[in-house]
Amino acid sequence: MESDELLAGLKQRDAEAVDQLILQYSRPLFGVILNYTKNPSDTEEVLQDTLLKIVRKIDTFRAESDIWPWMKRIAINNAIMWLRKHRSKREHETQLEDGYPQYTKDGMIQYPVFGWSVDPEEVALNSELSDQLHDAIQSLPYGYRVPLVLRDVEGYSIKQISSLLTLKEATTKTRIHRARLFVREKLSNYLNGAS
Amino acid sequence: MNEDFLKCRDCVDLLLDYIDGNLPEEMEEQLDEHFEACPPCKNFLNSYKTSTEMMHKLDRRNVQVPNELQGRLKAFLRDNI
Repeated sequence: MESDELLAGLKQRDAEAVDQLILQYSRPLFGVILNYTKNPSDTEEVLQDTLLKIVRKIDTFRAESDIWPWMKRIAINNAIMWLRKHRSKREHETQLEDGYPQYTKDGMIQYPVFGWSVDPEEVALNSELSDQLHDAIQSLPYGYRVPLVLRDVEGYSIKQISSLLTLKEATTKTRIHRARLFVREKLSNYLNGAS
Repeated sequence: MNEDFLKCRDCVDLLLDYIDGNLPEEMEEQLDEHFEACPPCKNFLNSYKTSTEMMHKLDRRNVQVPNELQGRLKAFLRDNI
C-alpha cells in the first residue's frame, strides 16, 4: 500500500489501512518506545495507545510531510507520559557518578585512557556492538536515560528536551553529560575487552 | 603544560559544550591546547565523541518484538477505534 493510500485509508478508519499501519510501523515504533520504557510488555502497552492516537489524530497530519517523524513524535510523547506515571521518584532522583576518569589530586587524568579504533558507522553493521550500546543506555537510571536518548538517539535540542521533561537547561545538560560518560565507560570496557 | 591552564577535570566537565561548539572562543582555544598537549584527554575526548556519534547511528527499527504482537495490536485497534 502506498503512503497516500495508507493515509486516505486511515482517515476513513478503513480496517485494511489499520492493518497496514500495524504491519509497516509497529516494529519501528516498538524500537523507539523500548528506549524509554525498557521492557517489552510496557512497550506494548505504550505502543497500543500510540497507534490508537495515530489513527485518531490522522486528520491533523499534514499530508505533504513525511509521516514517520510525526508518528515517532507521538510515540516519544506517549512514552514520556507513561514514564511520568509509572517511574518511582527514587529512580528519578538516582545520582549517577560512574563514568568519570580517575584523576590525580591536582585534577589531571591518571593513565591509561585507551584510544578507540572503532568507526561510529560500525554500530549500524555490528549487532554485538549495537547490543552493547543499547544495553549501556538501558542500564542508565530513567532520569539520565531519557534526556540522553532524546538528545543523542533522536537528535532533540537541549531546549526541546528541557521543555518536554520540565527540567532547567543546566540540569538537562548535566544529565546528558553524565549519561554519556557512563555509556562511554561501558563501551570502553567492551572495546578494550575488560567486560 | 602551563599550571595556570585548565586541568583534565575541567576539560572533561566541559566536553558537552565543547563538542556542541557552545563555549566562548577563548575557552575553546584553551581546551584545544589542552587536548593537543594531553594524550589521555585527547583519547577521552575522542571516545566521548565516538560514543555520542554511535548513539546517533543506533537503529532499533529491526528490534525483536514479542510473539503475536501484531495480532494483539490488530485486535486492540479493532475494539477501540
